[in-house]
Amino acid sequence: MISLEAIKERLEGQFGSRLLDRADFRDEVTYAVAPGDWMEVLSFCRDDPQMAFDQLDCLVGDHLPERAAAPFQVVAHLVSHTHGQRLRIKTALAEDPTLPTVTNLWPSAGFDEREAWEMLGIAFEGHPDLRRLLTTEDFEGYPLRKDFPLRGTIGGRIRTELKGKI
Amino acid sequence: MGITGSALVNPFDRGIQATGEDSLGGPVRLPGGFAMPVQIERILGFGRSFSFWPLLFGLACCAIEMMALGGSRFDMSRFGMEAMRASPRQADGMIVAGWCSTKMAPRVVRLYEQIPDPKWVLAMGSCAISGNIWDTYGVVQGVDSLIPVDVYVPGCPPRPEALWQGLEMIRDRIKQSRHAYDGLRRIPARDALTGGTGEA
Ligand code: SF4
Repeated sequence: MISLEAIKERLEGQFGSRLLDRADFRDEVTYAVAPGDWMEVLSFCRDDPQMAFDQLDCLVGDHLPERAAAPFQVVAHLVSHTHGQRLRIKTALAEDPTLPTVTNLWPSAGFDEREAWEMLGIAFEGHPDLRRLLTTEDFEGYPLRKDFPLRGTIGGRIRTELKGKI
Repeated sequence: MGITGSALVNPFDRGIQATGEDSLGGPVRLPGGFAMPVQIERILGFGRSFSFWPLLFGLACCAIEMMALGGSRFDMSRFGMEAMRASPRQADGMIVAGWCSTKMAPRVVRLYEQIPDPKWVLAMGSCAISGNIWDTYGVVQGVDSLIPVDVYVPGCPPRPEALWQGLEMIRDRIKQSRHAYDGLRRIPARDALTGGTGEA
């Protein structure tokens, strides 16, 4: 078991100024990284014995249209069962967002990334099975983007002829 | 002429042509001129109405109230309805309890189609009736756009008593041999018996 302080030190010692931002809130810590460092930071969090974040608790996407330069963001919530600690890593993405997949680190990222892709249009490169998860396969648009209409059945239709396929 | 051959399959099913304007009046005619007095069907309906077995099927929060009706406080087994069937093949109808998403819609239709005739459908809650406040990309605006519905029970969610009243209305319809699909859809067996003109 090591403390959160030691985890912070370890991560900051390893990546230094490549960690763009740190937010401490109620004994939990969130780091922001550039999309290019996403894969490297997360692999380090999983593989380094002092970090040992062996579980990806969840991976979520956000749409923040008020941030014109980088309206999308992806947050990975990590849990270390070895050290009993939690850590969040987030990254900001520009329009037409893409990010490398982390399914090779944590297979549980598969569903989370599928959901972030279908709801927000964040493409995860290298994902083995990037299909729609919660909507019908011919759905058009990204319903959790803030510019998606709140009302009306736009985008989705009742497709009984897809009965055998979905 | 008596009942012979294939006409014996299920002469009491409403799948066989009912003549007359009013589906309650007049004898039920079988092929070959045999007429089944409507009273027999009434007796069968009376019997059926005491063992309406719904499909074990809940879509959303309304299903919790449906379970409450099945539990000991409201206890729908008093009316022979407690045997929720897990297979549509054994069910007499379905209670659509909750909102139906566009992704679920094909499954709801399939489950409905798998229930053998005669069958009755109860739409429980505002979501199943009209989509409720979920006028969004994912929710079907009323399951009656998918399947014929016999009884609507409004509420969000309806109290178990309301669902009970709805089931009583279903029982009335069972006794009268009335179905929401009467005149709405073609039933292959019925068509085969009546030479393709069979509209009940
Ligand atoms: S009517 Fe209300 S309780 Fe029933 S499924 Fe809809 S939101 Fe839930």
